[in-house]
Amino acid sequence: MSDAGTMTDRLGSVSSGTALELRGVSKFFGALAAIQDVTMTVAAGERRAVLGSNGAGKTTLFNCVTGDFLPTSGTIRLFGEDVTEFPAHERIRRGLRRTYQISLLFTGLSVRDNVYLACRGVSRNRFSLLRPRRSDALVARADELIEAVHLTRQRETLVGALSYGQQRQLEIALALAGAPRLILFDEPAAGLSPSERAELVEILTGLPGHMGYIIIEHDMDVALRVAERVTMMHNGRVFKEGTPAEIESDPEVQELYLGGGHG
Amino acid sequence: MQQFLSKHPVWSAVIAGLLAVFLWLVLAPWTPGMEAVLGRKRVFVNAVLSGITLGALYFLVASGFTLIFGLMRNVNLAHGSLYLLGGYIGYEVADRTGSWLLAFPVVFVCVAVLGMALQHFVFRRMEGEELRQTLVTIGLSVVLADIMLWIWGGRSYTILSPDWLSGPMTLPIEVGVDRAGDPLMMRFPKVRIYILLAAVVIGIGMWLALTRTRIGMIIRAGVDDRDMLAASGVRIQYVFLLVFAFGAGLAGIAGIVGGTFQSLSPGEDTRFLLASLVVVIVGGMGSIPGAALGAVIVGLAEQIGFVYMPTYSVVITFLILALVLAFRPQGLLGRRR
Amino acid sequence: MALAERPAARPAARPAARTVEPMWIERIPPAAWAVGFVLLIMPLIAGNFFLFQVFGWTFILGTIALSLMFLAGYGGMVSLIQMTVAGLGGYMVAILGTSGVGHISLGLPWFVYIPAAIAIAALFATAVGALAVRTEGIYTIMITLAIASAFFYFTRQNHEIFNGYNGFNLVVPPELFGINWRRPVPFYYLTLGVAVLSYLAVVYVARSPFGLALQGIRDNPRRMASLGFNVTAHRVLAYTFAGVIAAVGGILLTWQNAQISPGTAGIGPVIDILVIAVVGGIRRPIGPFIGALIYVLLRTFSPDVLLALGLPGERYQLLIGLGFLLVVYFSPDGVLGLWERWRARQARRRDPLRGGRA
Repeated sequence: MSDAGTMTDRLGSVSSGTALELRGVSKFFGALAAIQDVTMTVAAGERRAVLGSNGAGKTTLFNCVTGDFLPTSGTIRLFGEDVTEFPAHERIRRGLRRTYQISLLFTGLSVRDNVYLACRGVSRNRFSLLRPRRSDALVARADELIEAVHLTRQRETLVGALSYGQQRQLEIALALAGAPRLILFDEPAAGLSPSERAELVEILTGLPGHMGYIIIEHDMDVALRVAERVTMMHNGRVFKEGTPAEIESDPEVQELYLGGGHG
Repeated sequence: MQQFLSKHPVWSAVIAGLLAVFLWLVLAPWTPGMEAVLGRKRVFVNAVLSGITLGALYFLVASGFTLIFGLMRNVNLAHGSLYLLGGYIGYEVADRTGSWLLAFPVVFVCVAVLGMALQHFVFRRMEGEELRQTLVTIGLSVVLADIMLWIWGGRSYTILSPDWLSGPMTLPIEVGVDRAGDPLMMRFPKVRIYILLAAVVIGIGMWLALTRTRIGMIIRAGVDDRDMLAASGVRIQYVFLLVFAFGAGLAGIAGIVGGTFQSLSPGEDTRFLLASLVVVIVGGMGSIPGAALGAVIVGLAEQIGFVYMPTYSVVITFLILALVLAFRPQGLLGRRR
Repeated sequence: MALAERPAARPAARPAARTVEPMWIERIPPAAWAVGFVLLIMPLIAGNFFLFQVFGWTFILGTIALSLMFLAGYGGMVSLIQMTVAGLGGYMVAILGTSGVGHISLGLPWFVYIPAAIAIAALFATAVGALAVRTEGIYTIMITLAIASAFFYFTRQNHEIFNGYNGFNLVVPPELFGINWRRPVPFYYLTLGVAVLSYLAVVYVARSPFGLALQGIRDNPRRMASLGFNVTAHRVLAYTFAGVIAAVGGILLTWQNAQISPGTAGIGPVIDILVIAVVGGIRRPIGPFIGALIYVLLRTFSPDVLLALGLPGERYQLLIGLGFLLVVYFSPDGVLGLWERWRARQARRRDPLRGGRA
């Protein structure tokens, strides 16, 4: 695929190994510190979970990484490149993707149109005024992605008519478009039934090895099953980092997080 | 302000430097060499003072516009019509009663009531539909313009200023020397200076009301985040009525002012609407100090351009607009949304 | 009794159960064929006045308003710069081609000045777009209106290029294939052709990757940015595309009047284009043409109607303003919206099985 080709070209010129590096990132809204002095490193292909109670700063962290917000201070390096000042679409072109806590989908378009748009976004002809032929490679690619998230039967349905769980699956399909190297999943399990949750875990663990991801979750269960390393946040700061086993058995975490009646 | 000084030291120095040069040009006597290059000093001072007083007029109109947009997100494109209507009504009052001052309260009340009626009966039903509200204001401006044309016709009206305001006054600015070698002082129409003072008083009054009173705090909170304000239990509709009434009334009074030192005719509504637009875009939406700053800049640019580069004065205004939009789209004192 | 299917315009979407997708030609509703046929043979029915003044003007204003509809309906940007772009196109034809103002017009051949005029106007539209798209949607109206007015005042004051108050007269279409394109019948077909081409172009581009992305940006700019789309670039290019359409409309307008002056793109006409687009309906490309027809009929015949009612004939602007107010108040998506709601009600009434929801 042509997209993978350009990606490997870029990979070659960039320091391998580190997908995301945050150094001293803070975001203040007026006097309120949403996140403060966050430093973390995510390796390429790594599966990381970011946990913490409400208000811990997880979504703000994501927004800084994707470029929705400009951090007040600190640097963000994506695959070795300093992207702190880059607009969102530039970071996407470098292999970053994101899903949203509240589905941001195009409700007036079909599932296929949504995924097609996502594929277009990272392709070369997105300014094309010419309509695609039916045999367009991107349409086939969109269908593949729809298959990967188990939505093939709802391909032509308008998104507004999908169930909540199906919309969340579509969100994941959008994030898989193109050749992502790092995906940020923002509470993908929120509001899902136990069987839908199991399906989500299946989809996530089934992703190819070179695709790393960072997942924000409230549901400790899902998070600990799909992650290799866990970062705990509290009051805008990183307060613990370790493997799922370490985190689960850590007394401070238990007191602060599990003891609070969450999850 | 302190934040600006600390965050942009270079720009602050540049602005301070420009202001210093400007003040020196106005206050210091000009050498014959300077006069050869820049023209007579009196012409320059006249242009500057005209620009600032024109800015005062623009401020009166634009501040109502920016408040209404800032709080209610309503781009009131009928604002120019309210200006002209106020002017015409003021003319009638002054003409029939002979009292210039009486026109002010009468016009304020009339136009404010019209504004309240519009907000209550029309705009309230389109809460949240910004585009639709704007389209309605466009329709209103067309209808009002035609009705005013019907009643007052196409001729130009000037409101006569009262005797105690007519004539020139002497200002403590030296503009040259007379034959005896004594300094000549600037003479400028009294009415314009008084209007400038009045606009400053009104502006400071508004600023104080917004920052020191409770209702002002509510309005400022609403400009920041209207939904939060409504959710916090404030009777937001009353606040809207108040702001619309005040903004409209102010535009109407500005009409009297404009009719006094300029004139009233069809087309003035468009001209002042556009001036308000430019002032508010340059100064920043929802900001009274922004409206003041924008008004002074636009007024000065217009007058200085008119005096020194008559065919291209529009270009200067447009260049300022384009520069602001390109480099600081939220306006000079506006908040980045 | 089988439900008789009224040959009315249906939306193009078909249920997914069909195994064979209909060809695009089969999807054109019968009503459209009927209208198209009538339009083609119109010169046999209507007199010269109607052809030139009513239909010609309708197609021209409809085309310019179509450019606004493209930006507003598909892009979510209500731009008041379209009439100005049209005016600039007209001015460029006068300045680069031939006119009665010999000391300014350059007299270049038609195959140079027509494309050049369109290109210059489109470039201007792009520049305005670049300034207007970086702020929130509601600012677009203000900014474009301010720039449009600056253009008006500038053309009025500038004598070296735009000839000030007087503008340019004797600006006529070039005589191609030996036809005087300003005679009623050829002009009718010329404007009809341009209107149809513009309409088809907009319909086609709306479902191209560019058009789909633009609609996505209208609905959810943040999401589109996170999918990798350069939102600003897309919006600016939309202005360019709309600018081309508006420029062509402006050239035709200039030819129709055989002159162009500052007032052609004055604030009144600028607002009128918005009125036309909104009254017709900014959601579908046919809307602006419906709005243009209503506007032209009002402008042409309301003085007579007003006089018949005993009111002064010059108050047509009041009528238009009131009409616009009523439409915006009661049916913000214009005449098209009224039509769609009426049809939905008809459909509900006819099918007792479907209950209250359309």
